[in-house]
This record gives sequence, C-alpha cells and structure tokens, in this order.
Amino acid sequence: MIRFILSDLRRLWAGSLVVVLLVALATALGVSVVLQERALRLGSARAADKFDLVIGAGGSETQLVLSSVFLQPSPLPLMRGEVLGKLAADPRVDWAAPIGFGDSFSGYPIVGTTTMLAQNLSGGLIEGKIFAREGEAVIGSAVKLSLGGEIKPMHGLPEEGGETHIELVYHIAGRLRPTGTAWDRAILVPIQAVWHIHGLAAEEHAEEGAESEHEHEAASGTGTAEHGHEHEEAGEHHDGHEHHGKLDPDAALDESWTADAPGLPAILVKPKTIADAYKLRQEYRSGNTVAVFPGEVLTNLYATLGDAKQILVAVASGAQALVAASLVLVTVIHIGQRRRQIGALRAFGAPRGAIFGIVWLEFFFLVAVGIGLGFALGYAAALLLSDMFSETSGITMPVVFAREDAGLAAVLLAFATVLAALPAVLAYRQSPAQALRA
Amino acid sequence: MLALNIENLSVVFPGLSSPALAIGHLSIAAGSRVAITGASGSGKSTFVNIVAGLERTRQGRIRWNGEDIAGFSESRRDRFRAANIGLVMQEFHLFPGLSALENVLLPARFAGAATADIIERAHALLSTVGLSRPGQKIETMSRGEMQRVAIGRALLRKPGVIIADEPTASLDAESGEAVGDLILDLAIAEGSTLIVVSHDQRLASRLDRCITFGSGRISEDSTATAGEAA
Repeated sequence: MIRFILSDLRRLWAGSLVVVLLVALATALGVSVVLQERALRLGSARAADKFDLVIGAGGSETQLVLSSVFLQPSPLPLMRGEVLGKLAADPRVDWAAPIGFGDSFSGYPIVGTTTMLAQNLSGGLIEGKIFAREGEAVIGSAVKLSLGGEIKPMHGLPEEGGETHIELVYHIAGRLRPTGTAWDRAILVPIQAVWHIHGLAAEEHAEEGAESEHEHEAASGTGTAEHGHEHEEAGEHHDGHEHHGKLDPDAALDESWTADAPGLPAILVKPKTIADAYKLRQEYRSGNTVAVFPGEVLTNLYATLGDAKQILVAVASGAQALVAASLVLVTVIHIGQRRRQIGALRAFGAPRGAIFGIVWLEFFFLVAVGIGLGFALGYAAALLLSDMFSETSGITMPVVFAREDAGLAAVLLAFATVLAALPAVLAYRQSPAQALRA
Repeated sequence: MLALNIENLSVVFPGLSSPALAIGHLSIAAGSRVAITGASGSGKSTFVNIVAGLERTRQGRIRWNGEDIAGFSESRRDRFRAANIGLVMQEFHLFPGLSALENVLLPARFAGAATADIIERAHALLSTVGLSRPGQKIETMSRGEMQRVAIGRALLRKPGVIIADEPTASLDAESGEAVGDLILDLAIAEGSTLIVVSHDQRLASRLDRCITFGSGRISEDSTATAGEAA
C-alpha cells in the first residue's frame, strides 16, 4: 500500500509538489503572523523588563514608555530638574538616571544620561570604559562604530533635515554589552554635554532661555523646565559665556543633582525592592509627574494590538480558505484523471473501503507534508522578519513556538482530514464500469 | 469452477429506447469455455460488466452457482468479484512504478488477502506465464509481457471463472496468439470456467462454445456445433 502511494506520488510529482507548496505557503502565512506577533510582544516585554519604573512629566504614559524604553523620537513634556535630585537622594532608590533625547548620529539616537545608567543598563561593558568627560560617549552593542571614533551629533534625525552641532564632537570611550533592547542601538553621552550643546546648563538658561526656546520645541526633548525658575548660583566650574559656541570636551562631569538642574523628559529609576517600586510609583503619580511600570503600559497597549492581531489572523485564515478551495478544485480534477485507475483497482478486486483509504491517505499525506513545511517556512520567515526588525530597532524579537501552536497544527490537520475525505468519497462513489469506460 | 445462469436480464441505459442487453435465458456450464463475439455496440461489453458485477442491473437474475449477484449490494459484488472472478481486459490496467510481482499482488493487498500462500502463488504464476523477473518494473515491459502480468493477476486468487474482454486486441498477432494460448491453457489447468470476448476468430474457434451478440441480443449460440466438433 505505502509503496503504491509512493510510486503514485512519484508519477504525479508535479501536481503533488503544487499541492504541497500551496498548503505550505498558506500555512506559513498564518504561522508567521502568529509567531511574529508573539515575537513582538515578547521582545517588547523583555525590553521593558530592563526598566522598572519610568518617571516623566504629566502626559501620555504610552508616549513616555515608547520614548524612554524604545527610544522612539518624539517630544516629551519636561518635568522640573529637581525631581532627579530628590530621587537620587531617596533611600528606596537603587539608582536613578535622567535621559534626554533629541540628537542623533548616523541614524542612531543619542541619549544624554549619566554614568549611573551607563554602568547599570547592561551590567558592564564589552570593551573600553564609561564616559568620564563631557566629550566622551558609550555606544550600545549594536552600534556599528568603533572605539575612539568620532560622533558629531545632529539635531533631530537626518530625514528631518537636522543640522549638525558644531559645538562638540564626542569620542567613543566604550561599548556596552547587548541588552536585547532598543538601547543596543543608542549612543550614550553625558546629559551635561547635551545640556551644554543646547545651551541649557543650569547656570545659563537665565540668559539664554528665551533664545533656546524655539530649539526645544522643534524636536528636542531636553530643555528648560521653567523659564521663571530662580536660581541663585552660577555653577561652580562653568561660566556659560566661555562655552558658548565651543564646548570643552575635557570638562569633568558633575553628577550631583542640584535643584536647579534643567528640565528633564524622563528619569529611569531602579527601586531597591518591589514594595519600593509601588510606593515610588504612588508618590510620583500625583502632581506634575507620572510614574509608570513600562510592563504595565505595554500590557494595555497589547490589548489594543490584540485587535490588530485578530485582523491579521483573519486575513491569513482567508488566504488559507482560498488555498483550501483551490485544493478542492485540484482534487476534483485529480480524481477525474485517476478515474480509470480507481475503476481498474476495483474491477480487479480492491474493496471500496481500501480505495477510499488509499486516496485519503495519499491526499492527507500531501497536505500534512505541506503543513509541516509551512510551519518551517513560517518559522524561517518570522526569524527573518525579527532579524530585520532587530536590525533597525535594536530590540531582540524572540521567535518561539508556544503550546497553542500545537492547537493550530491540530486544527489544520483536522481540516486536512476532512479535505482529503472529499476525493476519497468521490473515488468511493464511482461505479467501476463507468470509470473504466471513461 | 462456476456455472452461470441468466434469466430475464434487461439492461436499459437512460436515453436509449431499446435495451443495451436483453437475455431471456442463458446457461453456461461450470468449467466450459465460451467465446462471445459480435460487432461493436452489440452488447458484449455490457454483458461482461453485468456478469462480472461491475455494473448493476435492475431487472433479471444473474446466478453464479445459484448466487444471484443482481441482488447483491455494491460492496458485496466487489467482494464476490475479488474472490471468484478473474478479469483480463484489453487495456492492462497495470500500475507504473510497481514491479510485475507488486502488480499481481496489488488487488489482493488492497483486499487484505495477500497471505504467504498467495505471495508464493504470485511467484509461481509469473513463472507459469513465462516471466522470469518478478521484480522488473512494469513500464519496462513489452505489451505482450504486460498482458501476461495481467493474466497472472487475474488468476491469483484461483477464481472460479475467468472473464477476458478482448485480451489480444491490443497485441500484435504473434504475442496475441501466445496470450490466447496462455489463457486457454491456464483455464484448463486451473479448472476455471472461461468466458472470452473476442474478435479473434482463431481464438474463438478454439473454445467449446461461441455465443454471438447482435443489437443487445443473442443472435447465435453454437453450443450444438461446438459440441459436435469436440
């Protein structure tokens, strides 16, 4: 029997191949949609896991997470700089780091932050060291630049027609370990340098606040919190006028957060315990700031994305239905061509049940191979898409099968069972005399 | 060895006014060898389909050793045919990709009847019909050899009757003659009733009895003359 099926398939290899390919492609479409959606969900969730608590100015929580966790360029409202000082001093906080966006280099976002984040983000460096001076930078593992290279920050993104800042050139001091997050594509620089480039040091903005206002409205997330903010002291080591136009790349970093630090778009916070995390979130939720757990914001986002997945799945199912219909067509034609063969088998004494079985088995075998191949193809396609996505976003997208995929396979196989029964029934119902006459 | 008895048979195809086959009474004795002749469209093929149980009839009785296959269900007719009737057709209906032996055994395998004895018999039959390589692929054989394989297949389950429908028509004269001899010899050796539909006068003349069909009816039955000649 098996030999008969095999020799039959060998004889009808072209048609069999078409059936297998049709099934494989339709299955692959459905499988890759499911896998890719899961990869996106898992990948973004893991990326968010690195960040326990994000604090920003009042506004969209989703935007805060997208900008801080996924480094999506968009202007964020600013909160007062003193929040950082307060957090840094809070005993419940392991570490807190400000982040400021707005500049880019070769398409990589430049993130102004502190040595604190550079040290803690990836748990160490692959090579080099953390920035120690204003003109130094640390790059993410996926940034295709080499140590010692120059980074000329550009305001905004190249596609937005940003201008290159001439005030400061960073030199790459170190490279972080991979984190599987968008931060792997980031260039980390001292936030102090970002402030200086944009003329926003604590001591400067009284004089230059009005001037710089248009700048941070355009694209920068960094800027002054309040122009009316009073500060009594001009920084101990800086004279704003001296650095205007040309900054000193060798200037030392000052990470003691005074109450008059410039406004900040977001602060990443690592609380000491989970209880501390909840307390901090509670505390910084009121007033002018919002505090969010990125994971929680993403969960809400997925609820919305879930509907999009439904649509994709529906489209994939539609494609599968089309393939099923074309398979029915193929089988009806196929059985027509095999009428004589089937009639002869019966004439020579093969029982109808056995013919039903063999036709069913042969067709089911083809469809099952197609489904198997489809899963492999879908997996490969999802891997490819994930790689492409990781390339541009830095977020690692894990493509994994889950238990519910076995359910999908089972449904497809059950469908194949029914589908294969159709030609089998056609063959079963033929009168052998008619079949032989044909 | 089976005897055939037909009574009041009438086969009507839709759209045709006169029956394709109408036989009031026909008896074929067990072990006899009968030739069926007649022009195209005279009802020979319908006769074969009906007596082999390939086609169902609504009117009349077709008794093989007293069993009326006209009253059988489709599946039961299939089983009856598999066990009792060996068919040889003009077209060989062999399956490419399989060897001679596999082709001989295929219907029995489908029916779950391929026991060790049957497999041994398949080997024996292939050597009886003059094929020395049971493993040879069917598509590499000559037409004469293919029909020999088909004869082996027909005889595999020791059928009580062998029905051959134009077994030599698609062969050249020489191999047609050899195949005709083979069928006749084997039917005698196996003690099977033999019904051969053929245009081949030489083959028909070697059988005990010759029934001629015309317009769906028996126009001539040479039992007497054949009997006298014998």
